[in-house]
Amino acid sequence: MVMENNKFMDHAKQNSPEEIPSLLQFLSSNEVEGFDIVGGKKGLNNQSQPSEIKPLNSSAMVTDTADVQSQSKESHHHRKDSVSISMPSSPFRSDEFQTPKSVAFNLSEKESSTMISDSTAGGIPMHAKSHSQPIPKGFVVERTVENINFTHHPSVASRFRDRRFDSFKTWSGKLERQLTNLRGGRPQEVGPEEETKKSEMETNLPVDRYFDALEGPELDTLRASEQILLPEDRTWPFLLRFPVSSFGICLGVSSQAILWKTLATSESTKFLHITPLINLVLWFIAVALVVVIFSVYLMKVIFYFEAVRREYYHPIRVNFFFAPWIALLFLAMGVPPSITKTLPGALWYVVMTPIFCFELKLYGQWMSGGQRRLSKVANPSNHLAIVGNFVGALLGASMGLKEGPLFFFAVGLAHYTVLFVTLYQRLPTNETLPKELHPVFFLFVAAPSVASMAWARLQGSFDYGARIAYFICLFLYFSLAVRINFFRGFKFSLAWWAYTFPMTGAAIATIRYSNEVTNVVTRILAVTLSSISSLVVTALLVTTILHAFVLRDLFLNDIAIAISEKRPKHHHHRKWLHHLRHGSSDHKDIENYLKFSPEGKYVEACVDPRSTENEESIENKV
Amino acid sequence: MHPRIYRITQFTTIMKEITSQPQIELVFDPSNNTTTQSQSHCDPPVAKKCSLSFSLTPILTKFHAGYFRISLSLCSQALLWKILGEPPHNAHALRQLFSFLPSTAFALLWSIALSTLAFLSLIYILRCLFHSEMVKAEFLHHVGVNYLFAPWISWLLLLQSSPFITPKSVYYIVLWWVFVVPILVLDVKIYGQWFTKGKRFVSVAANPTSQISVIGNLVAARAASKMGWRECAIIMFSLAMAHYLVLFVTLYQGLAGSNSLPAMLRPVFFLFIAAPSMASLAWVSISGTFDNAAKMLFFLSLFLFLSLVSRPNLFRKSMKKYSLVWWAYSFPLTVLALASAEYAEEVKGGMAHVLMLGLSALSVLVSLALMVFSATNTNMLVLDTLPVSTTNRSSDSQQSDSVPIL
Repeated sequence: MVMENNKFMDHAKQNSPEEIPSLLQFLSSNEVEGFDIVGGKKGLNNQSQPSEIKPLNSSAMVTDTADVQSQSKESHHHRKDSVSISMPSSPFRSDEFQTPKSVAFNLSEKESSTMISDSTAGGIPMHAKSHSQPIPKGFVVERTVENINFTHHPSVASRFRDRRFDSFKTWSGKLERQLTNLRGGRPQEVGPEEETKKSEMETNLPVDRYFDALEGPELDTLRASEQILLPEDRTWPFLLRFPVSSFGICLGVSSQAILWKTLATSESTKFLHITPLINLVLWFIAVALVVVIFSVYLMKVIFYFEAVRREYYHPIRVNFFFAPWIALLFLAMGVPPSITKTLPGALWYVVMTPIFCFELKLYGQWMSGGQRRLSKVANPSNHLAIVGNFVGALLGASMGLKEGPLFFFAVGLAHYTVLFVTLYQRLPTNETLPKELHPVFFLFVAAPSVASMAWARLQGSFDYGARIAYFICLFLYFSLAVRINFFRGFKFSLAWWAYTFPMTGAAIATIRYSNEVTNVVTRILAVTLSSISSLVVTALLVTTILHAFVLRDLFLNDIAIAISEKRPKHHHHRKWLHHLRHGSSDHKDIENYLKFSPEGKYVEACVDPRSTENEESIENKV
Repeated sequence: MHPRIYRITQFTTIMKEITSQPQIELVFDPSNNTTTQSQSHCDPPVAKKCSLSFSLTPILTKFHAGYFRISLSLCSQALLWKILGEPPHNAHALRQLFSFLPSTAFALLWSIALSTLAFLSLIYILRCLFHSEMVKAEFLHHVGVNYLFAPWISWLLLLQSSPFITPKSVYYIVLWWVFVVPILVLDVKIYGQWFTKGKRFVSVAANPTSQISVIGNLVAARAASKMGWRECAIIMFSLAMAHYLVLFVTLYQGLAGSNSLPAMLRPVFFLFIAAPSMASLAWVSISGTFDNAAKMLFFLSLFLFLSLVSRPNLFRKSMKKYSLVWWAYSFPLTVLALASAEYAEEVKGGMAHVLMLGLSALSVLVSLALMVFSATNTNMLVLDTLPVSTTNRSSDSQQSDSVPIL
């Protein structure tokens, strides 16, 4: 440990000769154990090595050490300022983390990796923004820590939790404070900034804040000028870092189960001699994944309801709330024939009910034309909100129902038309549409492919309607595939899993089509598309494993849920700069033109602008 | 000057301002009438003209095509009662229930609808004669112009529900042509404007009331197919559906231009329900059976109905005080009930009949409630009780509301 720390010091000196924090100076003349455990009195480190606690005698040290020490979610340290000391730390490899003592070090890993890169690139200021930083390395260690913590989450650990995360908890920490008081713990006084934070949490964020504060095709990176409510420099509790887009994994795997079931049972692919065992194995994996992800997200709903709420108001994440139910539909469709061949009809109604409720909410928002009208929030990920209808129609029709599936098909078709036209138009008022191609565009393929199968089921044959939908799907697929070069150079995200199921859907639709029109071309097409989709899923699996266990950045801090409600002071300046940068100043002009066109004046005249705004805010709460 | 003339001239001045002035001029504060009155002095010819047709003027000036919402509701109710009152032979037990309705009730409803429509049409004809400039202003208004379809739709509905003219008779055909030609002329004008004329393209002009034009075509298609003119029916149907597609997408996108409906007019959002239901009815009468296409249109309509009902906040502001716009609720509900009756006849399930029963009861109740409200609030509806000397806030705001609505 001493050696490690010396290394650490050397590195620190190389990197940042200009400012060495007092802590380091202190540490160089003190023994190392103290560094590890300072402040750990209340934390988990305590449990692993309770005897080694050494109180620090330097009062100036305490705050600094705390900052360094507590980057893991377990840091139950309690502090008010979020000053980061930009601690350069050791260039540890993960294999060097062997003793539990080292846990505390991974906290500053994120910083350290920046520092390393900085040192190679030349002097860059030390407080580089963390959202652009790659790859913290302490993932496995953190995971173990989290798992330990999980078991005593509410009861033991709550007393010592870092209060800055309280605002995202289900009762904003009120109940837990009361419990602490009951147990005779010291009453925690609430500072004024905590109060303001709390009041921010209670109001719904308007959608414009998401557009202003975040950027990127998935609106998940923070703009440079913005601040967030949670500490950027530390790793948040696991549940806060677990996004709803994780359900994409379920979509990807369970659709693979359907694909292999179709390959094994279809007439046209009999010559491949695929064993139904693959379907069985994939299906059980999918079931296990669904159960795990459902239960983890359920915990997030229970313990961090505020975070879930903020995800729900996020204009892109809200679409992923359809993913769990679609995954359930996929599971029902991919059920291996060896397990059961007929499903109870009630199951369909149970799964479709939440989809229907979300649809009422989301489509109503589009139609009633408030803040979240479609011309503003349209994005390829809205396809997730549409495709549930077609998947439901497909499942219901194959279960033998008649009117219910047709209902969802009709609703889906109407809204798909609207969305399709809107996305093709690329309106200047659409703020979230990715400027360049992105894997999310593969969702374009999803709806027509599933719709063609659903229509074929509803009609009883693969008729012209089904074929039209299928050929549209095929065209969209190819038009995306020839642009495959553009898909390079994106940061991996978990949401990509959701973008694989359209390929699988296209492959399944092709198999259905080749059942109808059986010749060499359709068979080759079916086999090609199936293998592409399986390869993509495999590649994605490898990438995910790589990110999870080697690079350890699968669950980064979920910046998107922690944006602040207040705009930064220099907001206008930044906006202006932003426009200049993107060269799209005509954007606002068009909207203004639409607003103040000669026709507009009659109706606008009689509306009191204040009352309209009030009403819009009411509507957005509906 | 006589106070009433003040009011009239003030009103006409405002009407002129609407067409000429920028929007800030329009937001006049009811509390200080002095400014608008002083403006009215500068327009003596209008005042003179108004004083000539003294007794009718207040009616004619306040009247506008939006009043045909009433006749739309009543005529569609008449059609609903007619269809429900003639159950098919092997009907479901719940459907048989309606055959106990006395036929005199239907005849009474039909004659009420007829007299209301005739009365409203008469007033509107007079308005065209004496105040053609106001009709022109209405025609140029992007909400008002759509209500010019309403009288013809009402007449067509009344024709279809008529107890004594059979669809094959000559009268029916002649009347169909009489009512359809104006609709076609308006279609050519409006749809042409959407994609040709520079400043009235669809993303600016579209608003929920634009769906009335589509409904007009669909009603005509249904009437045509009833009299056996299948080709004409398909022409009208395809014309309607092509433009409905454009309109539906545009309205759903909620572009800034089409988003500018005042809060008081929000009930017209219910027209979202009416168009697909009417399309379903038209398609049923063209194709002969309630096939999947008709079902899908009906289901879309049902979904939109649920979607609107589940967000009452949208309508909160317009529900505070009775206004004519309330009548916009009734017609779409009635059309939805009609479609559900056709659907139940095809599906023959218990659920479908319960749905039909519920929707029909709802539409009848809403229509009755609207009649009662209108009867108790006659001072807002009946036109000759126009407040003359009272300058209280409520009447003024009422007027200022009705000006831009038209």
